Amino acid sequence: MIILRHYKVDDVSYVSQKDILRVLQRGLKRAKIDVKYSQGFIPHMLTYTSTPVPLGVQSLAEYFGVECSGIDKDEFLKRYNASMPVGMRAVESFYKDKNPNIAAIVTASDYRVKSSQSLSKEIEKIAESQSYFIDVNKKGEVIKKDIAPMVYALKVEDDTLCMRLATGNTNLRCDDVIRHINGKFGCDIKINDIFRTAQLVRDNGSFRDVEEVLR
Amino acid sequence: MQDKLKDILLKVQKPARYVGGEYNLPDMDKPCEERVCLCFCDKYEVGMSNIGTRILYHMLNDTDGVVCERCYAPDVDMAQQLKINNLPLFSIETKRDVKTFDLIGFSVQFELQFTNIAYMLDLMGIPYYAKDRGEEYPPIVAGGPCVVNPMPFAPFFDAVLIGEGEKNLKELVELHTLCKRQKLSKKEFLERATKLNGVYVPSLNNPVKRAVLEDLDKAYFPTKILVPNCEIVHDRSTIELFRGCANGCRFCQAGFYYRPIRERKVDTLVRYATELMDNTGYDELSLSSLSTSDYSQLKELVARIKEEADKRKVKLALPSLRLDSFEAEIYEDMQGASLTFAPEAGTQRLRNVINKNISEEDILTSLTAALKYGVKNVKLYFITGLPTETDEDLQGIVDIVKLVKQLHYKYGKSKLLNIVVSTSVFIPKPLTPFQWEAQIPIEEMYRKQDFLKDNLRIKNVKYSWHDAKASVIEAVLARGDESIARAVVRAYELGCVFDSWSENFDYDKWIKAFEETNVDYKKFLNGFKEDETLPWDIIDNGVKKSYLLKERHLAYEGKTTPNCIGKCNGCGANKFARCFK
Repeated sequence: MIILRHYKVDDVSYVSQKDILRVLQRGLKRAKIDVKYSQGFIPHMLTYTSTPVPLGVQSLAEYFGVECSGIDKDEFLKRYNASMPVGMRAVESFYKDKNPNIAAIVTASDYRVKSSQSLSKEIEKIAESQSYFIDVNKKGEVIKKDIAPMVYALKVEDDTLCMRLATGNTNLRCDDVIRHINGKFGCDIKINDIFRTAQLVRDNGSFRDVEEVLR
Repeated sequence: MQDKLKDILLKVQKPARYVGGEYNLPDMDKPCEERVCLCFCDKYEVGMSNIGTRILYHMLNDTDGVVCERCYAPDVDMAQQLKINNLPLFSIETKRDVKTFDLIGFSVQFELQFTNIAYMLDLMGIPYYAKDRGEEYPPIVAGGPCVVNPMPFAPFFDAVLIGEGEKNLKELVELHTLCKRQKLSKKEFLERATKLNGVYVPSLNNPVKRAVLEDLDKAYFPTKILVPNCEIVHDRSTIELFRGCANGCRFCQAGFYYRPIRERKVDTLVRYATELMDNTGYDELSLSSLSTSDYSQLKELVARIKEEADKRKVKLALPSLRLDSFEAEIYEDMQGASLTFAPEAGTQRLRNVINKNISEEDILTSLTAALKYGVKNVKLYFITGLPTETDEDLQGIVDIVKLVKQLHYKYGKSKLLNIVVSTSVFIPKPLTPFQWEAQIPIEEMYRKQDFLKDNLRIKNVKYSWHDAKASVIEAVLARGDESIARAVVRAYELGCVFDSWSENFDYDKWIKAFEETNVDYKKFLNGFKEDETLPWDIIDNGVKKSYLLKERHLAYEGKTTPNCIGKCNGCGANKFARCFK
């Protein structure tokens, strides 16, 4: 199979993951890529995605795996980019023998967001706390959540905030953290200005970029 | 605007509807003299499914010097955010304030969308009535199926385009560009517009003939169409096989309005289908028309398109197959396990009255064939409240359902058969032989629905019915005159929007709106006299009034008129373009 790293930026950041899958599959058809189908009663394309970013958040590190034949990875990337809506550009492609199940192996993501004003260093204390409760919205209900075990790093550099947050089975939504920071520290960081910059795998106590692990 | 939008997009449901960025988006930055905004009076997912506006959007964008953008009725949560943030309604593509465009076009598809015209104008910050808008506002025009009788919404518009937009919208945009170059006023532009085919200017009340394409095969048809990023109602590509309908069902407005009948050639359609499949990546292609099985070379067409579709793993959909020409072999290949039939009336007598030329035998043969192929779901559509209808005709609906059950028992390949019966309420629409009829009283609508509810309590049969109150308002809006416009505005002010979405429809507010604006709505529910001038008589739609009247009389005699494929019945529509060209 071929795995792609692609962007999800600008207008498509407002497209839900369910819809993105459809966008990707239609793009493959337009690109005339010979995708394999499942053998079930209703055959479907054998494609795999990574853990999605929240609606409105942009990403430079989305992964998309495709079981296909008769095409090399560079040609795949070229045709894919010619067949996708603006904002869905692929930047890397590589082979894997079988589905690596990226959604299951990724345990953290890096995010970067720029604010219109300088940010307080006080924000970094979130990562230093033993426990830190914020309000999060869970199925329409606001609940308190201790995010301290899920914030692996948080750094402020003038107007830019970089975060490493739990992703996957233990998951911390970056938009929940930013909403909290906006409320608590009087910032005006826009959710749409958040970029996921990398997806990471925990390896012997440290984090490695998922792409590095897979390649 | 873009920055402010960022703040509100995550506060509304389905923000993808408002951001655009679809695949195949035309070039919005090309040099242009004329920037047009096409507005659709319903949500994105409905508007994006509409083939008419799709054609016009791409046609204008494929015209040198013209850029066309879109605007859909925003959902109420978005409208609320726009108001809170003091933002005007904007175009999808470049997020421009709609009132800054050179020309604004509204597509009015359905009577229960009329309040959405007021809703969108309000959000644009544009006065409702054309008479209240000076030179600072661009000309605002309307088109779409509701222009059969444009009177109820005509006061909102500077011009109403009657007929086929491929012809009159293109000409109107060209004229507007010319007038702009010559620095002519809006009034002068509108005066000149009356000289075009199919342009009605309400302030000038000019008699108008419908604009009709002479040769559909040569007409513009886009194959590099927008592919939405979020799910829409009809998420598939569509080719239009032909325009018009030969059957002449006496209740059907579309059947008369879209005449003359003009087909596209098989070669043209196969080319369009192939290009659409390649350009969109959709996994379904619909072969559309008012009565698909009447296409003269359907077998050849389906065979050739299916070959291309199979290569691309694309499924074909054939809506609007007629019961009498149901072809089991096509069905076997295409439809899978669900079948929709529309006998419309329960007895042969009433089917003769409405000229639905289907016999009991046709129903029997077609259903038997379908059941033998393993159909698991049958949907049956009927209309209640048709002229001359009695309880015997309602019992006929029940009898058809029982017959289907018996046939399934005898021939059915599938173990289980689900039957869904849907009834709508008859609305005597303009430009039909029944345009003079009265609508049945609301109490009678309920009684008929109750009759069917009681008698269709049968295992594996589900009965659904159209809201009687919505049918009353739809009839008033379809048959009304200019006075209706002020009631539409009042209804909007009282909170009526998206009336076609049943959860939003509020009958009491509509009645209040009619009363507060002194509009005698009941007179539009009563029948019209045959010698009376009807609100829509100023429009020459092609089909002669005398023909409609003759058909009405035949209906009361229970006599049918054959379809006009073999022999012309002389309805008059071919004065605009030759039928079957």
